[in-house]
Amino acid sequence: MTNHWIDIKNSDCILIMGSNAAENHPISFKYVTEAMENGAKLINVDPRFTRTSAKADFYTALRSGTDIAFLGGMIKYIMDNKLYNYEYVRQYTNAPFIVNKDFNFKDGLFSGYDKEKRAYDKKKWAFDMDEDGVPKMDRELADERCVFNLLKQHFNRYDVKTVSSITGTSEEDLLTVYKTYSATGVTGKAATIMYAMGWTQHTVGVQNIRTMAIIQLLLGNMGVAGGGVNALRGESNVQGSTDHCLLWHIWPGYLGTPRASMKKLSDYHEKNTPKTNDPLSANWWGNKPKYMVSTLKSFFGKNATKHNDFGYNWMPKVDNGVHYSWLDLFDEMYKGNIEGFFSWGQNPACSGTNAGKNREGMKNLKWMVNVNLFDNETGSFWNGPGMNPSTIKTEVFMLPACVSVEKEGSITNSGRWMQWRYQGPKPLGNSRPDGDIIMDLGDRIRKLYENDPGAFPEAILNLKWDYLTHGEYDPHKVAKEINGYFLKDITVKGKAFKKGTLVPSFAYLKDDGSTSSGNWLYCNSYTEKGNMSARRSGKDASNNIGLYPEFSWCWPVNRRIIYNRASVDLSGQPWDKENPVIAWNGKKWEGDVPDGGWPPMLTEDGKPNPKAKHPFIMRPHGHAQIYGPGRADGPFPEHYEPLECPVAENMISGNSQLVNPTAAIYSTKADAHASCDARFPFVGTTYRVVEHWQTGLMTRPQPWLMELQPQMFVEMSEELGKLRGIENGERVKVSSARGSVECSAIVTKRFKPFKIGGVDIHQIGLPWHFGWRWPESGAEESANLLTPPTGDPNTRIPETKAFMVNVAKLT
Amino acid sequence: MEVTRRNFMKITGATAAGVAVSQLGFDLSPVKSHAQMIKTSYAKETTTICCYCAVGCGAIVHTSKKGDGRVINIEGDPDHVINRGSLCAKGAAISQLTENDNRMTEPMYRAPYSKKWEKVSWDWALNEIAKRVKETRDATFTKKNDKDQVVNRTTGIASVGSAAMDNEECWIYQTLMRALGLVYIEHQARI
Amino acid sequence: MKGKAFFIDTTLCTACRGCQVACKQWHDLPAEKTVNRGSYQNPEDLSFFTYKLLRMKEEVVDGKLKWLFFPDQCRHCIEPPCKDQAGDPDAVYSDPATGAVLYTANTKGLDPDELECPYDIPRKGPDGIIAKCDMCNDRVHNGLLPACVKTCPTGAMNFGDLAEMTDLAKKRLEKAREKYPKAALLDPLDVRVIYLVTESPDLYHESAVAAFRPVRGVTRQSALKKLIKPFTSMAS
Repeated sequence: MTNHWIDIKNSDCILIMGSNAAENHPISFKYVTEAMENGAKLINVDPRFTRTSAKADFYTALRSGTDIAFLGGMIKYIMDNKLYNYEYVRQYTNAPFIVNKDFNFKDGLFSGYDKEKRAYDKKKWAFDMDEDGVPKMDRELADERCVFNLLKQHFNRYDVKTVSSITGTSEEDLLTVYKTYSATGVTGKAATIMYAMGWTQHTVGVQNIRTMAIIQLLLGNMGVAGGGVNALRGESNVQGSTDHCLLWHIWPGYLGTPRASMKKLSDYHEKNTPKTNDPLSANWWGNKPKYMVSTLKSFFGKNATKHNDFGYNWMPKVDNGVHYSWLDLFDEMYKGNIEGFFSWGQNPACSGTNAGKNREGMKNLKWMVNVNLFDNETGSFWNGPGMNPSTIKTEVFMLPACVSVEKEGSITNSGRWMQWRYQGPKPLGNSRPDGDIIMDLGDRIRKLYENDPGAFPEAILNLKWDYLTHGEYDPHKVAKEINGYFLKDITVKGKAFKKGTLVPSFAYLKDDGSTSSGNWLYCNSYTEKGNMSARRSGKDASNNIGLYPEFSWCWPVNRRIIYNRASVDLSGQPWDKENPVIAWNGKKWEGDVPDGGWPPMLTEDGKPNPKAKHPFIMRPHGHAQIYGPGRADGPFPEHYEPLECPVAENMISGNSQLVNPTAAIYSTKADAHASCDARFPFVGTTYRVVEHWQTGLMTRPQPWLMELQPQMFVEMSEELGKLRGIENGERVKVSSARGSVECSAIVTKRFKPFKIGGVDIHQIGLPWHFGWRWPESGAEESANLLTPPTGDPNTRIPETKAFMVNVAKLT
Repeated sequence: MEVTRRNFMKITGATAAGVAVSQLGFDLSPVKSHAQMIKTSYAKETTTICCYCAVGCGAIVHTSKKGDGRVINIEGDPDHVINRGSLCAKGAAISQLTENDNRMTEPMYRAPYSKKWEKVSWDWALNEIAKRVKETRDATFTKKNDKDQVVNRTTGIASVGSAAMDNEECWIYQTLMRALGLVYIEHQARI
Repeated sequence: MKGKAFFIDTTLCTACRGCQVACKQWHDLPAEKTVNRGSYQNPEDLSFFTYKLLRMKEEVVDGKLKWLFFPDQCRHCIEPPCKDQAGDPDAVYSDPATGAVLYTANTKGLDPDELECPYDIPRKGPDGIIAKCDMCNDRVHNGLLPACVKTCPTGAMNFGDLAEMTDLAKKRLEKAREKYPKAALLDPLDVRVIYLVTESPDLYHESAVAAFRPVRGVTRQSALKKLIKPFTSMAS
């Protein structure tokens, strides 16, 4: 989230689309309700009427996989009716930037497409630069090659009639949403978007969010209270586990994983550190070398020296142009190319798309380590439906982890708040904290390599691995390492620091090995003042907008609303006087921790201030990106159908590409897909419900929650029920090109058929909370046995939100 | 961790249950007598953050100071500025996640081609896992790729998980996995 | 009138069902074995093990789909028919401090139907004892909110002094009427659990208001005398 949970109360209009907050983030409704009590409008757009819809001022449905069309229509509406916040758009976004004439869009393809590689040459999408190497701009937004006009032209095809025929939403409903939401383009009004996996899990996932980000920028809703682009993250620490890079492509704090071509640390710095020639651009990522070296110092401690490039080459590198993501990992496992597998606090036999392929892949492993609270479908895969244990060689080690209340440590919520948890009871039986297991395993592996070096022992033996106190894992030691230390007596920015003390914030990190920081984004979280994440003051800040700056701690540097420098005008005065995030008092900023302490763009006498910086400090040019030339699938969003879809042609004019031409595709025999196929005539989607969580592993073994939601189910319209002769509550079979699942039918008014291109298209929905291990009947299986083998080209997040299925009565 | 302040509501017209009920002048049944007791009165209190979604709601854990030292009650933390004491169906059920007979409490091992789990010791399990890691890593380690670039990695071992771990655990986990040379490191955030 | 009361504002209820689980958690009640009957609502009904039930119904009103949520529980009637019917203060009594209507183990042998609850609340357990919501009387006497109220995120569940809750109910009714002209309070003068609803009460649950019709085939004579009158709203 760019903002945070409590801030939702400051909104004037809340759009819940691509998420179901009332069910999956229930406590968020404390603040949605508060906003509504104060007059905010709640709009909900979802293929099916949910518990969120039940509370909305306005609900309308769209067919799964058509969000760009829906939102693209809103961009056109905003442009046509000039509802954008002109001053904000021309000053703070890249709308004035002039795009080189190599960029174009024809027949559904942006310039630079390579059919063989299914990829674009992004050099074709560059900005025109002036003689100083700064992007050329037209702040009056008149130049026909400026981003603003290219945007207008691009979305001109998204008229309400076309959009309606794609999404199945009535023209009237589309206009109601557009009008209500875009009313917040007025200065002083804010609208927020609450989205989740309903937007990310598509072959156009990133562009779904880009489309909304463009709307938020056009309306001046970024950086302000009650605004922002707010991803509602679904797991208690998925924000923290992402920040701490349990992902192949990043290192701590979103540093890129070193590529094979980056032979030396200097190559890494060169390739990864963005540059700017604009003196008004802060270009914060220009500090990357400081963060990278400090990370390496945390990895390898005193073994990392300037002489050995701080151990840069001890860590693994990934090949250029190759993906190692979830889909690729299980593709390799399925092909028999992986021997050993850790499934640590996760359940890929149910959680991954096309889970049947994952389960088959597990048969090819030599060994698996499964760490969890409960036995699960992954650890016991060899004992699952259709498996014959006597033919499966895989050894499985199942290790019991303890529950969160039985250990100490921190987690980071969706609003980026790092919060400390304490130990209540001791771990049950012989279960142990994950941290204890990790340290113990690491110690044993290191001992083996000490005794017998084997292959490349350097990284393992040089690792700083001293996070025990009295022989037990000590989360405080790790938390301090993540924050970072001064490694010698040193003066930074005029302040003297002692060796061995904690670094007060990332502004003091160095690229010469004199500081460590396991994750620069968390530098400031555990300082000489103590554990900031454990703070519990209920006092609000002076601006009284619910920041609670001394309750826990949030990254970066306790800034509660990021991009907050865009919440003020050029003189530093808040656009919204009632809910100011920050304000310039003539000498400094007041309110939230500002996005950099530089003065406003204009001096007191209204002249450009040479000491100022553009507000979007993480972008090389300091401006928010309406035009995003870094994306894999185009600098502007475009509607493409899901890989599996019910239509034969893309109904947007000027686009003959049916599916995102850069979508990730896999081709083993387990990767079947079927579009416009009479065997699978209905659109399917997956979701969560309040009573369960994720694959259900932390809810299905719980009787109270099973009482509430006991069985796998499928929701369908009364019209579809009638068509298939299915009565409410009957058991049915839902099948796709990949597999089938038995479900209890919920035949409901909450689903309605869609009119798509004049034809009735039915959609069904399934929760993905079930699996054969719990309940013990073994009859309730995972919806991911149905979901398709494809994903977004940028993130490679699988497309589990839109695919094609059939539904039939169980005979 | 002591929780110092609570939004206790005021009872008007009654100071203590015992007085009010005994005025009725008849024998107290179980329901009546439990009105005088509260199961959390003498428990240890610690604060936690809910382990389900990422709203980050605070909860108070009441742990028995006597006997088995297990959880008696878990409910919303009224001093937490986000949830102010509230919890959804899942959050309200954390005590049953903790005190649950279905939990694994011992390391288990499934041998090749076996139809069953065997209970094993931590010492044995971790030693065996360490050996497997070394064996596979040493056999599959790639110092240079086919372009002769130094890569120092293994694609023979993969890891998934976990957004259910604490920050500090995530950090040491990825450090260890990367030091082993893994590049297939993924978790819930990808899916 | 002394004692405590609940005010349940269904306009704010999201059916997160925190109340239903928090009730089980505090009372250490076991889960029931349920099946999916084509509805999210489960268990199907209140029981000896389920004092609080989130009832969920889909209704089309004036051409518009509504998903109606009704957190059902004992109303702790101001003059509880069940107390009179039981006729044994060792079995059913009111706590004079809070007004909680409390059932004891001495309800063993009584028939829930003969208690003539106008809201169809009491349920018999396997050993013949009758049980229902106890207002978390133990919590209340120890300065805590009832578990269901404490856990409610949106302000749908409220608890406090009867007069305070009556005031809140009136205020909320006025506010609700801006959006929902048919909004009403259910039996506000007779119960300690006042509901605010926006549609006709029978759409939520057949016993949302003191029942006009026999429930499970029993005519509720005394209940009828005391509680059943034409459905009116306090503010009308």
